[in-house]
Amino acid sequence: MSVVRSFNVASNAHATGKRPALGRRVLVAEDSPITQDLLKLLLNQRGHEVDVAADGEQALAALRQQRYDVALLDFHLPKLDGLQVATIIRSEAGEHPVPRLIAITADMEGLLSQPKGGETFDQLLPKPLDIYDVAQVVEDQAEIAAWEAEARETEAAPEPTAPQRVHALESARDRRSHFEDLGYNFLTWPGDIDLGHLSARAMQASLGDPRFDGILIKTAVAIEDLSSIWNEKALYLLPIIDLTGKLGHIADFDGSRLTALESNQLDEVLRRFQDRRAHLHRDLQFSSDAAEKLVGRMFVTNKPLTPRYDPSSKWLVSYDVALDAAVVAREAESLCERGLLRHEFYDRFHVCPRCDSLRLHVREECAQCHSSNLEEQQYLHHFRCAYQGPEENFRRGDRLVCPKCRYELTHFGFDYDRPGSMVVCDACGHAASDPAVGFMCVDCGTHVDGDVASVRDVYAYFLTEQGTGFAELGHSLLGTASRALRFADLPLELVVALNAAAKKYNDLQQPFTLINIYYQNEREVVAEQGARAFGKVRDLFVENIRAALGDGALVVKGQSRDFALLQGVGPSQAKGEFDLVMVQAANSLRFDIGASFQAFGPEDFA
Amino acid sequence: MWESASDGLTYLLSQSGESLFRLFWFVIVFEFPRYTLSFLSVAAIAGYTAPGSRRSSPLGTVTAVIAGHNEEDSIERCVLSLHEQSCPPDEIIVVSDGSTDRMPQKLRELQDRGLIKEGHCTQVRSGKSAAVNLALARATGDFVVNVDCDCTFDRHALKNIIAPLADPRVGAVSGNILVRNARDNLITAFQGIEYLITISQGKQAADLTDQVSCVSGAFGAFRRKAWEGVGGLDAGGGEDLDVTLSLRKAGWKTVFAPNALCYTDVPDTLAALVRQRFRWERDAVRLRYRKHRDMLDPFSPRFSWQEVLHEFDFLIFNIGAAIIFPIYILWLFTTYGDLALIILMGAQAGMMVLDSATFALSALVTPRVNALRLAPYVPGYSLFNGFVMRFVRLGAYLEEWILEASYGDTYVPQKVHRVRR
Repeated sequence: MSVVRSFNVASNAHATGKRPALGRRVLVAEDSPITQDLLKLLLNQRGHEVDVAADGEQALAALRQQRYDVALLDFHLPKLDGLQVATIIRSEAGEHPVPRLIAITADMEGLLSQPKGGETFDQLLPKPLDIYDVAQVVEDQAEIAAWEAEARETEAAPEPTAPQRVHALESARDRRSHFEDLGYNFLTWPGDIDLGHLSARAMQASLGDPRFDGILIKTAVAIEDLSSIWNEKALYLLPIIDLTGKLGHIADFDGSRLTALESNQLDEVLRRFQDRRAHLHRDLQFSSDAAEKLVGRMFVTNKPLTPRYDPSSKWLVSYDVALDAAVVAREAESLCERGLLRHEFYDRFHVCPRCDSLRLHVREECAQCHSSNLEEQQYLHHFRCAYQGPEENFRRGDRLVCPKCRYELTHFGFDYDRPGSMVVCDACGHAASDPAVGFMCVDCGTHVDGDVASVRDVYAYFLTEQGTGFAELGHSLLGTASRALRFADLPLELVVALNAAAKKYNDLQQPFTLINIYYQNEREVVAEQGARAFGKVRDLFVENIRAALGDGALVVKGQSRDFALLQGVGPSQAKGEFDLVMVQAANSLRFDIGASFQAFGPEDFA
Repeated sequence: MWESASDGLTYLLSQSGESLFRLFWFVIVFEFPRYTLSFLSVAAIAGYTAPGSRRSSPLGTVTAVIAGHNEEDSIERCVLSLHEQSCPPDEIIVVSDGSTDRMPQKLRELQDRGLIKEGHCTQVRSGKSAAVNLALARATGDFVVNVDCDCTFDRHALKNIIAPLADPRVGAVSGNILVRNARDNLITAFQGIEYLITISQGKQAADLTDQVSCVSGAFGAFRRKAWEGVGGLDAGGGEDLDVTLSLRKAGWKTVFAPNALCYTDVPDTLAALVRQRFRWERDAVRLRYRKHRDMLDPFSPRFSWQEVLHEFDFLIFNIGAAIIFPIYILWLFTTYGDLALIILMGAQAGMMVLDSATFALSALVTPRVNALRLAPYVPGYSLFNGFVMRFVRLGAYLEEWILEASYGDTYVPQKVHRVRR
C-alpha cells in the first residue's frame, strides 16, 4: 500500500474523458529534495520516465544531451535560474524542436517582471504545487508536443497530398483582422478554433493559460457550432469578440463597428474578464460538467443570463452566451435546484408537441376542420316575426327584407337589432359564436389546439450567493458529501509525511490518523469581518492545535483546510482526543469559525 | 252543524234523477264529459300500439336544438342527458339568448369537449322564439327536436319521439312531460298529478282523435321541412301552441308520443305557479281567439271541423267552466241557502271519485311512472284543481280579455311586444 498509489486512483477519476497517458520523457529541475522525490514518484507512477536535475547547469546539460518531451524548470535554481536555462535552450535550438518548457515558481511576479519572463515558457505553474495539476499539465503539454511534431511532418510531406480542409483553413487564417494587430493575444475562429479542431495555441489556452485574452469570431458561425468552445476546458471563459456583427448579444463584444477611438472599451472588457477569471476557482475552470461551466461563465461575465427574443432560434429566445437556449435552460434549471442560480420569469411560450419548437403560428380557426378561412357574420333579429339569421339573408340591394315575413326592416331598434354574430368557416360550413384558437408549428407543420398546447416558461437566471461562493471556492463549498478527502488538496509536505507513515504502517503495523479540519463559518466570518481577520483567527487556531498536540504530530496548513497527522493512534481513538483539542483551541478565538474535522486511518488509503 | 250535515245528506239521498241534474248540472255539463272521454280513450289505448315505435333503423338525421337564457347551471346536465340517449342526436345546437351569466363560456367549453356541434351567443336578449329560429337556421337534420334546458330525458325518449315521424303526414310530435320535483311539496305534488292526467293521459286521448293542439315547447320533435315551412317560431309567448296551430293549419298531423318521457321541474310556490298559469292561459286566449281566429270562422278557407273540435273543447271546458262556476255557486246559495254547502260538498265528493278514477287510469297508461306515491295527494288535488286553479284561470282570462296583459309579459323582450302581431 502506498499513498501515491491511492493518489493515482483519485487523479484518474478526475481526469475524466482523457485517454490513458503515454509514457513521456520528463526532466525535473528542482533544488528541493522533497519536491524532487515527490515529482519523481508522482510522474513515475503515471508511467513517465523522469530525470532529476538539482541546479541550472545540470538541467542545461541534460537538455543538451537528451531529448525530452517536457521539462519542469524551477525559476529559482542554483547556478543558472530556470529562465536562463529556457532562454539558452531556445536560442540554441533555433528552428529545431524544443521540449515543452514549464516554469515552477513561488515567485510568479518575479518571473513575469523579467523581460520575456512569461513568453519563454509554455506554461507557468505557481507554487505551492498542486500535485494533481502537475501530472495533468505535464501530460497535456506532452500531447501538444506530440501534436506539433505530427504537424511538422505533415508540412514536410509533398504538397498535393494535403487535404482540402487545410487549404480552407490556411486561407481563412490569412485574412488577418486589424484586431489581431492591437497587441492582444487572441484566438481566432476559424484558425485556432474550428469545428472539431483546435490549434496548439487553442489547446494551450484550454489549459487555463492566463496569457490569452479572447476569441475573435471572423466568419459567420451558427450558435450550435460554437459549442466546440464549450467542449474544451477553460476556453469557455474567454470573451467572444464578434467581428461579423451577426452574433448579437451572444457575443461579449461587438467588434464589427469598432473605431480606433473605442479600443479602450475593448480593453476594459478584456481586463474585466481577466480579473474575474483570476478569481474563479480551478474546479470550475477545468470542469467538464456543463452546468458548472455555466456557473463559471456567469461568474466571469458578472452578468445574469438574460434571454432575448430571437426569431432564428427554435426556442424563440437566445441567451447572452454562446450556447443553445435549450441547453442553457436545461443546465440552469438543474443549477436552480442546487441553489446555485435563481430564476426570474421572462415569458411563456406554447410548445409544439412533436418537434419541441416554440415557433408556432397563432391562428383563429374553425373548431371542426382547423381551417383559418373564417368569416364573421352578424345576424339580425326581426322582432315582429322572431326571425333571426345572418344579415345576408336579409339583403335585397340596399334594403333589408325579412326572409320569413317579407316585411321590410326600416328602423334599427324598432324593427330589428343585431343581437350578435357568428363565425362561419368557409371551408366546412361550421359556425360558432367565437373562433377557436390554434397553433401551426412553423418548423414541422404540426397543428395544435390552443387549449391543449402545453406551455413553457422561459426565465432569466441570476447567480445566488451560494453560486458565487461555489465559483470562488469550488467543490469544497458544496455540502459534506463533497468534503471527502482529495489528494489534490493536500500540501506536498503532508503527502511526503503521509507516505512515510504509510510505510511505517506496512512495515511495523503502526497506525496513524490524518485529521482534516475545515471551517464551516468561513464565508460568514469573511463577509462580516473580512478575509484578513478570518486568516488571523485561523492562524491562531492552528497554532493552538500545534501547541496542544506537541512534537508527536505534524500540523500543516492547507489552502482551504488544515491538516494534522497523528502517529501511533488509529482514527477511532484519535477522534475522541482531537475533539477535546479542538474545543480548547477554539476557546480563545475572537469569533466562531465553525471548525469541524474528519479523521482518516490507514484503511481509508487502501 | 252535524245535524244540518246529516239533514243535507238525507236530502241528497232522497233526490230523483231529474232533481239530481237540477242540483249538479255544472258537474254534469262541464266535468262529466271529460271523464267519459278519458274512459273511452283508455279503453281504446288498451288495444293500441304506437305505429313505428319498435322500428330501430334510423329514419333520418336528428338535430337537437336548445335555447336558454342564463342557464349556466343546467345546460351541461341537459346536454349530457341527450348524449345518454339510446339513440343520441346527430348534432346539438345551443343558443344562449343574451345570457348575462357564464352560459357563453359554458357553451364554448362544451363545444371544445365535442359535446355540442355549435354554440351561439347573442349579446342582447331576443326571446325564446328568435333564439330557436337562429338554431333552426343552422340545423341540418331531417328532424329537429326542441328541448328546454331544465329537462332531462328517459333513455329512449329521443328514439320514441322520432318514431311517429316515420309517417310522412306527421309534422310534429309532442313528448310526454312528467314532473321531476313532484315530491318537493304539496304544490308540486298537485302538479305531478295534473301533468299525469292532462298530458300523459289527456294528450293520449287527444291523439286518438287527432286533437293534439299543443306540441310541448319543453320537448317536441318537428319535421324540419314542415317547421321551416311555417317560418319556425313566431314572436311572443305560448310559441308551442302557436306553432302547433300553424302546422295544423298548414295541413300537418300533430301527434303525441306517450313513451317519449321527459322530466322537468315545476314551480314550487303557489305564487310562481299562479304567475305561470296566468301566462299560459293568457297566451292560449290570445293565440286561439286573436291570432288564429280564422280557425273558428266557417267562411275562412282554413276552416276545418278537426280544429273546431279542440277549439270548442277549450272554449267549453276551460273558459266556459271557469266563467260559469262562480255563477253556479251563487245560484246554489241563493236557491238553497244553507243546503248549498252540503250540495257543494256532495258535488266535490263525486268529483273526487271521478278524479281518483282518472288518476288510476292515467297511471295505468303511463306504466313507467311510480304513480302510487302520488295517490295520497289525489283528494287534495281534486279540491285544489276544482277551486283554486279554476279561479286562477278565470282571473287570467278576464285579465287578457280586458287588459290584453299578454302583451306586457316579461317572458318576451319589450322590444318584441311593441311590434309583434
